[in-house]
Order: sequence, then C-alpha cells, then structure tokens
Amino acid sequence: MKKNAKGRKKKKKKPNQVPPSPKGRKILWLNVLPEDMWIKVKRGATVYEALQSRGLDVGGECGGVGTCGKCKVRIITAVAPPGEEELELLTAEEREQGIRLACRVRITKTIVVHTDIAPGQMELFQILKDGHVPHPPADPLIAKHAVRVTPPSLQHPESDFYRLRAALGPRFKALHVSHHCLSELYSNLRRADFEGEAIIHRRYLVDFQPPNSPSGRYGIVFDIGTTTLVGKLIDLADGSEVSVISRLNSQARFGSNVISRIQYVRQKSQGRKRMRELLLRDLNLIARRLLEANRLNPEHVFVAVAAGNTTMQHFLLNLDPSGIAEAPFSPVITEGVTYPAPSVGLELHPNAALYVMPAKSGYIGGDHISFILASGAFHESDGLILGLDFGTNGEMFLGNRRRMLTCSTAAGPALEGARISRGMIARAGAVEGVHVGDTGLQYDVIGNVKPKGLCGSGLVDMVAVLLHYGVVDGSGLLGPEGIRESKELFLSRVVAQADGAVHDFLVAGTEESFYGDRILLTQKDVRELQLAKAAVAAGVQLLLQEMGAGIEDVDRILLAGALGNYVNPYSAMRIGLIPMFDPSRIESVGNAASSGAQMALVNRRHWHEAAEIVDHVEHVELSVHPDFYDRFVREMDFPETNLW
Amino acid sequence: MDLSALSEAVIQGNIEKAKELTQQAVDAGEDPQILLDQGLIMAMDTVGENFAKGLLFVPQMLRSAKTMQECLAILQPHFQAGSVTSKGKIVLGTVKGDLHDIGKNLVAMMLEGAGFTVVDLGVDVAPEAFVKAVSEEHPNIVGMSALLSTTMPSMADTVRALSEAGLREAVQIMIGGAPVTAQYAEEIGADRYAPDAGSAVIKAKKLVASA
Repeated sequence: MKKNAKGRKKKKKKPNQVPPSPKGRKILWLNVLPEDMWIKVKRGATVYEALQSRGLDVGGECGGVGTCGKCKVRIITAVAPPGEEELELLTAEEREQGIRLACRVRITKTIVVHTDIAPGQMELFQILKDGHVPHPPADPLIAKHAVRVTPPSLQHPESDFYRLRAALGPRFKALHVSHHCLSELYSNLRRADFEGEAIIHRRYLVDFQPPNSPSGRYGIVFDIGTTTLVGKLIDLADGSEVSVISRLNSQARFGSNVISRIQYVRQKSQGRKRMRELLLRDLNLIARRLLEANRLNPEHVFVAVAAGNTTMQHFLLNLDPSGIAEAPFSPVITEGVTYPAPSVGLELHPNAALYVMPAKSGYIGGDHISFILASGAFHESDGLILGLDFGTNGEMFLGNRRRMLTCSTAAGPALEGARISRGMIARAGAVEGVHVGDTGLQYDVIGNVKPKGLCGSGLVDMVAVLLHYGVVDGSGLLGPEGIRESKELFLSRVVAQADGAVHDFLVAGTEESFYGDRILLTQKDVRELQLAKAAVAAGVQLLLQEMGAGIEDVDRILLAGALGNYVNPYSAMRIGLIPMFDPSRIESVGNAASSGAQMALVNRRHWHEAAEIVDHVEHVELSVHPDFYDRFVREMDFPETNLW
Repeated sequence: MDLSALSEAVIQGNIEKAKELTQQAVDAGEDPQILLDQGLIMAMDTVGENFAKGLLFVPQMLRSAKTMQECLAILQPHFQAGSVTSKGKIVLGTVKGDLHDIGKNLVAMMLEGAGFTVVDLGVDVAPEAFVKAVSEEHPNIVGMSALLSTTMPSMADTVRALSEAGLREAVQIMIGGAPVTAQYAEEIGADRYAPDAGSAVIKAKKLVASA
C-alpha cells in the first residue's frame, strides 16, 4: 500500500517520466518512441518545440520555422494532413510513411511520434545480443526440486512445511521458507495434490508449484551497457536462450559516456534517482517484453543476473558513482552482490533475487569480468589469451590461469561515433562496412537505406580502405598526393577545405546520402580515430610488456562487444587497432558480458568463479603508467605492414 | 642568411639535418638570437599552425619539438648569460582529480618551443597549488587542462581561488581539454579557450601581447 502511494506521488512530481494517468484529460502528452518518453505539452505547441524542451534533438537547421526540412519524425497518431511547407519539403514516399516535419505539426491531442524515420525503424538498432556461451551443465542459481509431500494424516499431523522439508531429504534439514511462499503454501500444496516442485534459492524455499509449472524455470540476464541494454530469457533447465530483447539505454540523453552521466548526478539533487528510474524502467520494459513474448508473468521469474560497467552497476543498485569520475576513481563497491529484486526495483517475483556481477575497479566492471569468465582464459594453462572489448570505454585483458592482467583505456568515443563529425551509433543509416568493387565504393548500410553517417566498424573500414589506396598516409594525413590505384575514383572524392591545404574525404554526396547532404570523413576525424586506436594499441603493448611477453606468445585474440563483432579484423589490423596476428586465431565472441552473466546464472560454480577471477586478475592503471605516454604516441601512426 | 632550410628541417622533424645546419650557422658567426627567432621559433609556429589544422599529428609535432630542443642545445653556449629573452612565463597544470597529462605536456612543449618559460605543475593540481605557484612565479598566463567533464568544475574553483587571493588581475587564464569549450571559458571567467596545443601557442602569444 505504502509503495503505491509513493508511486503515485512520484507520478505527480515527474509526469514526463511515466505514462500519464487517464485522469489528466486537460493535459496533452507527446509520447516519444523509441525511448518511450512522455512529454507534457501545451495545446498548440509544435512537436519540435516539445522535443526541444526536453533537449531531444531531431535535427533541423532553421530553428523550427519550416524551411530546412530536417526535423523529420514519424507521426504515429493520426493528425491533420500536412500543410504547404511540408508538401514541398517531404517526398510523397515519406508522407506515405507518416513522416512529417516536427516543427509543422501542432499538438492538439495526445500523440505518439517515433524519432527514427527509417522504414521498419523498430528493429533497426544494431545492438549485439548474441554471444557464444559455452554451455555449462545446469546447476542454476535457483533450483527446482521435484518432490512428493506426504499428505497430512493422523499418523503425520506435522506442519505442511515440516512434511515438505522432510520429503526433500536430509540435505534440506536446515531449509528456511520465505514469508510469501508460506502464505500460499496451504493452498499450493493442496492444489497440486501434494506433488510438485519446490523452488529453492540458497537455503530458502521461495515457492511450491505443481509439476512442470513455468515458475522458477526461467531466469533473466541483463547486459547493462552505457549505450545499449540487452535482456535474455534463459531456460534454467538446460541453460539455453529462449528470447533476447534489446533497447537503447534511456540515460543516453544525459550524455553518451559514464562521465557525463556521473556529472549529471553530481549537479542535480535528484540526478541519481532519475538515472536509476530511467534504467529500471528500461530493464522492467525489457523483462516484461521477454515474458509477454513467452506467455509468462513476472511472478514466474525468481532470479536475474546483471552485468554492466561499474558505473551502470552503481546506478542499478542506487549507489553514488561520483567517486568513479575523478582520481583515484574509487567506486562504492566492486564485490558481486545479491539482493531481493523488488528492493532494487525489478518487477519479478516478490522473492526473486538479483545477482550483480563482481567488478575489479571503477573502470573494470562486471561486464568485463563476465567477458573473462566467458572467455575461458581462467582455465587456460599455457597460451596467453588477449581479450579486447571496444565499448564506450575500451577494456582488455591478457593472460591465463597462471597470471592475468587487465586495463581500461579511453578509446570508445571515436569508435562509437562520438567526436567523429558524421559518426553515429550502429542504427539505421549507419555505414557499417566499406568495400571497393568494380562499381566503385560500396557501403553496407544498416537498414538498407542511404547513409546518414558512419558507425565504428564503418569508420575502421573506411580509413583502412583509404590507407590501402594511399588517400591517407602512414602519418594520418589525408590528401590526393599519395593515391596509388583507382585514381579517378578516389581523386573525385578528395575535397579540399577552404584553405586548400587540408583535405576531407567525401563518403557520400548529396545524391547518395539519406538526408541529401554531404557526408564527409574529415581530416580531424582521422585524427580522432588515430587517438582511439593508439589508446587501444598502447594498452595491448603495455599489458604484453607487464606480462614480459610478445604478441607471438598470444594464443588467441578474442574481440567482444558490438564493434568487436562487426569490425573486419583485417581492417582493424590495417589501421593498427589490433596487432598484426594470424586472422584464423582472432575470434569475435559477441556480447561476452551477457554470455558470462548467463554462465553464472545457469551454473552457480561460475558465479563463484567470477569472484575468483577478480582476485586473480591484476589491474594495470594506464593513466599513471610511466611508459604509457611513449607507447601512446608511438601507436598513433598507422602501420606500414598489412595482410591485404 | 637564409634560414628557410633550417626551418624546413625543424618542420620535417629531421634532427640530423637541423643540427648540422644550426652548427654551420653558428660556425659562420650568425647571431644565435636570430637563429632562434627566425629559424627555430618560426618553424615551430608553422608546426603549431599545421597541427591545429590537422595537417600533422602528435608524433610529427613531438619530433619537431625534439629537433628544436637539440638545435637549441647547440645555440645555448653562444648566448651571453641572461640574453635570451623569454616570450613570457606560463604556469601550467591538469586540474584536481584529473590525471591526464598528455595534452598538457604537448602544450608545455609547444610553448617552450615558441620561446615561453613554462612552469609545469603536473597533474591533479589543486586550486591552492595554482595560487601558490602564481604568487611565487609571477607568470603572465595560467594554463589549466581537464579531460573529464567531472573535473572541469575544478577550473572554476581555481579561477575563484585566484580572485580570492587577489591574483586574478595579475594573470591571464587559458583553459583546454576535450570536454572544455569557449563558452565554458567565458562562463567561469577564464580569458581564453584553446582547442589544441597549436592554438594554445597562438593564443598565448596574443594574450601576452595584449597584456
């Protein structure tokens, strides 16, 4: 009861964060997808104004006066037909798809808009959901035990719980029972005719259900990324994946990286609460959709495992992450923890447990420990395993069961599109691959639309191609002088800046791009990529140095995360993002964070192993390492050698 | 004497060639001050400008700076004591809570290359440490670097601390670092924002000239 009252109060205070109650008829709302954000608006305001008021950028260069035609959104609710300006600035095709100019649509009723205007937009975020999970024998964190309970009789007048415990055998002599389970036990036992399944978490009986009930059969894994969130529904009986759902992290509007989100928390009195609410709303949405898709209820799920970077894990647990944002980068906690899911805010069974993976430090989070867990490197006795995760922050590890080192490096921004003039995350319109064929430059574009910009793998491919053809030289200078082959093709795309000395590369001309503008890869973009790849490469070199090993001692290279999965290893080697290595021993392991968390979920041995990994692995702090500077500078140039 | 070959060698970062040319010029009795100003410093100005444009990058800039230092070592004994004129003095540091020093080091190196006297306070420098350095060193400029948006507020704290110590009017303040903007410089009452090491030199010169 108390909770409900609190919940209502919250709604009144922050109406933009939750779906409105139907009572507020006088108030108009703008529901913005895909974030599912609710914005309170004044009657007659334009969609553009409403989005601006919340700091949501939909593009647009004219400031909302209806002349640039850039602020396109998909209006899902039926609204008045487009006026003259829109007819002029939108194609018939766009109008057919419900695309309108945000600055020309006035809100006179509650409406729903989608800010991504690419066709089929809902499925077009390229979030990496899959990972390679070594299937461990199932011994999940929550166990189901088939049991036949003696019905009560004059010979056996003991309590229901006593007889249930006795039926489970001597192993469970010290079994406790949750209050919730107990309150339903009388009817649950009788409904099942005393034969069913006891659901046990650690030493607690948390539920009793008839045989083959979906209760306690499934668990959920959350991969909490700075940019993207992934939820997996796992069948605990065999450890298999049942469903996977992802969405973008709604916190992203408060900054693309953890530092800017922590900054928000420090500046706003309600900042931490707000961050937590956004994250939990996302996770609960993911959980609900996973369950709905499988005709399950939240009450069926008794366990979830979450893995994220240390900051995200702090947000999830409502801990203050401020310490992570400045030297000495100290978090509140790094140990793995288990809490009742409802007290954290996850809407599962009232007795459900949430496991949060252990972290190593402020920048080596539970996601990276999960990666190490999934890699199997902890059991490797001879060769060294090098694991690289290019997330928003790049993390890596090197080693085996004898010794293991790990470090983090600020590589992510450029590789995830930030600080690149036309960089973007992997969503509709992002160039994710570049090829040179008979017909010239060919792009793989997510969503099969014309390009809007470059995501990480596209950027790496693009620069690798330009290096190959001499458009970019070893020092990173972009220009027409060194072009070796296909001269006409590349010459026509090298564009001089106003001063004539600096050149950019035309990725797509006005005819070729989605928005009808020019997409340039600028000289500065190449410099940003050099910084990013140098940071990763320097990290690898320093780990090797600390290990007293060379790249030839490395057995396998594992690439995790979205970029690790989509990047062409040849291109990554061409630009020096990863060291020159036998391509057959480079493996993309996909979403390793969720794979490791999944292993912990389906086998408790792995949950304990994660803690052992944390103890085993040594953290190398690059920012204070005496050799980092020299290595970093040395790795900024592009390598001369390549395998093409 | 035509110093363009020497300048070119510094810009190219050709250490051997630049040293050779410097030695030749010294042997021929050229004025070391002219060699410094019109050969080395002018070359480094070009390097800074090219860096700011993106035409060259950190490794190339460092090589040019190293070339310059090697040449300077040859010139040094030929200056009469105290006759090298400094272009100005700058106290430099990465602010409290922030350990990033690469960008700050590049700025220091380029400023030295441009003839400034640089007092580098290192990283994780508290406002009080800046105040102390200003009162002891009497610089023309205070330069602050921050690479984290969470440590940027420390720049504002330092500006405030300098004001409270009554030293704000005595110095010009210049700030930089990835999350820093010109608007932020204005907000906290700094005098200039420099987006990179090359621009920092150009702006530092203007600040000293205008003071």
